[in-house]
Amino acid sequence: MGLFDAFKKKGIEIGAPMKGKCVAIQEVNDPTFSDEILGKGVAVMPEEGSMYAPADGVITTIFPTGHAVGMTTEDGVEILVHLGLDTVALKGDGFEIKAEEGQKVKKGDLLIVADLEKIKAAGYDVITPIVICNSADFGSVNGMAGKDVNPGDSVIEIKK
Amino acid sequence: MKEFEYTIKDELGIHARPAGMLVKEAAKYQSTIMLDTGVKKVDAKKIMALMTSGAVKGTVVKCTAEGPDEAEAITAIEKFFKDNL
Repeated sequence: MGLFDAFKKKGIEIGAPMKGKCVAIQEVNDPTFSDEILGKGVAVMPEEGSMYAPADGVITTIFPTGHAVGMTTEDGVEILVHLGLDTVALKGDGFEIKAEEGQKVKKGDLLIVADLEKIKAAGYDVITPIVICNSADFGSVNGMAGKDVNPGDSVIEIKK
Repeated sequence: MKEFEYTIKDELGIHARPAGMLVKEAAKYQSTIMLDTGVKKVDAKKIMALMTSGAVKGTVVKCTAEGPDEAEAITAIEKFFKDNL
């Protein structure tokens, strides 16, 4: 059995970027995510503000506001982790960026530290969608919602 | 090929939500739709590419459409930019 066959069989697993409760993407109160416009995925309602790399790969983009990170894995999976809803409007207040664009990361590397209480106090929902932007390139993208997760626990399974 | 140029007025540029909405609009057309921000030239049908295009307030974006429905596509995308960015 070749490597490709093994890959096909097992699929690609994407880890939780934050500690919290993993919920279905449809529960996110923003149609950009719940209608899967940005791709299929899941969301984590975070309990701690540290965001870690959900897989091995390269940081494709970190918004200067620190509220969202895009990365591309070695398998070509494009992952967007978006910390909170409409948090772009905070213009970086409450977010500390710990990685940079073009950086190679390992699953579990620290990317962003957010002050969840401050963001909530400013009136924002901190739910964090994790979506596969190029979902259409894969046979299936399945979220594993309905459980408490620690950073790195599998939350999305992707098959070619 | 059809094209237009537009200067981004939205303070936050092409962040996640407008990128998603733009892809949804662009995907309605068969034509190849490209955005050139001067920093990067990206495919308007690819979300991650759009989010890395470097388009912020003041960026002049040159958009081109090429294909069987290029006239309709360029009209719709130009309207999208005027309405949203």
